Amino acid sequence: MERGFLNNRETILSFIKRAISESEELQTMVVPFSRGDILFKQGDSLKYLYLLLKGSVGLNRRNEDGYSLDLLKLEPGHFVGIMAFSTGKDSLTTGKALEDSEALKISQTELETYLNDHPRLRHPLQQLMMSNMADRFMKNLQLESKMHQLNEKLEEEGEQLKEAYKQLEESHQKLVHQEKMATLGELVAGFAHEVNNPASALLRSSESLITNFEKLSDNDSLSGMFTIGLKSAPMSSVDIRERMISAQKRFPWVSERSLIRKIAQMPDSAHVLIESTRKKVPIEKMVQQFEAGKFIHNIQVASERIANLVKSLKSYSRQDNNEAELIDVRNGINDTILVLSNRLKYLDVHLELLDIPKTKGHLGELNQVWTNIIVNACDVLPNGGMLVIKTKAEGEHKIIIEISDNGPGIPEELIDRIFEPNFTTKNQGAKFGLGLGLAISNEIVRQHGGFIRASNKKEGGAKFEIILPVKLT
Amino acid sequence: MDHQIYILVIEDELEVMDALVKDLEEFEQKFPVESANNAEEAEQVVQGIANSGDEVGLILCDHVLPGKNGVDFLISMESNQLFTDSRKVLVTGQAGLEDTIEAINKAHLDHYIAKPWKKEGFQKVVVDQLTSFVIKKGYNPLEFMSVLNSIRLAEALRGSQLTDH
Repeated sequence: MERGFLNNRETILSFIKRAISESEELQTMVVPFSRGDILFKQGDSLKYLYLLLKGSVGLNRRNEDGYSLDLLKLEPGHFVGIMAFSTGKDSLTTGKALEDSEALKISQTELETYLNDHPRLRHPLQQLMMSNMADRFMKNLQLESKMHQLNEKLEEEGEQLKEAYKQLEESHQKLVHQEKMATLGELVAGFAHEVNNPASALLRSSESLITNFEKLSDNDSLSGMFTIGLKSAPMSSVDIRERMISAQKRFPWVSERSLIRKIAQMPDSAHVLIESTRKKVPIEKMVQQFEAGKFIHNIQVASERIANLVKSLKSYSRQDNNEAELIDVRNGINDTILVLSNRLKYLDVHLELLDIPKTKGHLGELNQVWTNIIVNACDVLPNGGMLVIKTKAEGEHKIIIEISDNGPGIPEELIDRIFEPNFTTKNQGAKFGLGLGLAISNEIVRQHGGFIRASNKKEGGAKFEIILPVKLT
Repeated sequence: MDHQIYILVIEDELEVMDALVKDLEEFEQKFPVESANNAEEAEQVVQGIANSGDEVGLILCDHVLPGKNGVDFLISMESNQLFTDSRKVLVTGQAGLEDTIEAINKAHLDHYIAKPWKKEGFQKVVVDQLTSFVIKKGYNPLEFMSVLNSIRLAEALRGSQLTDH
């Protein structure tokens, strides 16, 4: 046999088998195993090394977590327990006969002796050991590279899982948002109905009140005062203060301050009427008539405002029945501004809503986009500032909506992230229950075939541009 | 009295202002009413009142105003020694919890009236606050018996007579 060359396992095995058949001593060392017999247990320190001659032995390892793993199936020509035997450490595995088998059982102390006493066996046994080791090493290499592949695959799957989770999160958010909007829509529809009734009762009653009043006054100048009052809009306190001074001059005989204030709020025609009837009708009565008219006027203005607010709220939160409609985006912007008027009080709002073509879309959804951006502007301008909303058409196929403020702007390092889900610079607890983030706005605009662009203006402040395609079908 | 004690109303919605001033009419023989549609205007008005040697006895202030809000205005009034004693009342439908807490802590808010208000309750608050103001300032209670809380004024009168001895 040449050195440096490993004969294959079977060849060496048949050589060893022959040696055994020729040696009685060796024959006594051959032990049979029945299927299921345990050769050694995991954790045992091994005194014997087995050379499998026939059958097969499985190596099994139980991990710390209790999980049992079949590692290797050893066949004739394989050593069993070679690792523990050659390292002197406790066995890492349990060896169990998988079928009826036979093995040459070599005790640790005897091995050296055999190798010395039976020079014929020495070389083949060494070769076999080498071959066994080589097999295991090969297997180890294969396992290493397989593990590497698996790790890569695992990582890839992990990435996919992350992506899937992100998408799930996004669609969850969207669903929650839709649910919220649906609830809001229902609430508003019910609310609008309920409020419309008293609002129309107010309007109708005030109209009846006007007729009644007109019939009640038996005096032309009194009913004249009432009519003037009815047409008088309330005045700013600055105007009232100024006019109180001139009214006091014109009616020096009036000493009561509250009376002067009321006279100050009258137009000139009323002053003329008061002067002309001074001798016939007490001034208090004239003023009362004017006031009655004025308060009915206020009732009408206020109830019309309620009716308009309700109308806007209704169309603002309209539940689109999935069908896109031909809409004028500007109507939605106006509704949104009216609905948010309370928050916009602190801001100078400039509208430049140029003519734009109608497009197919969902007005209610787009209103959420305007709301999100406008509410953000309000949040960064707690002490007032400027909000500019512009619409314009670019050719026949594009609508551009631009919303900008003169606030602190968007930090440059965040500008790319603001449309990401869950991105927020403020505490949760969206005001008005609507400020649900730019991610949803972005999604809504995307579903309309358009896109949002955020930037900072040179002169300061944030600018959002929404570009929508004009869709007619 | 050698000077006037004003009631100041700050409200930006003119119809609402009309209604508020109407409910204050009955006090006007003793307490002239001044109005402002925003905080900046109100600051000028109170300055004018102070310049003529008069006082602001009661400030009734809306919260949501264009420009500076009502709570901030009340806080600035509180820190101006001319108006520290002025009674301060928020009349609003919209001040949130945080704003209200701030008003109480920093402006020593004396009362909070929620919109919509009722004339009776509103006038009772005005009477109570002005009575407190008059007593705190030590003005002759007899002068205000007809419009303010006469029982409290009488008690104050007795108290001051007792301490005089």
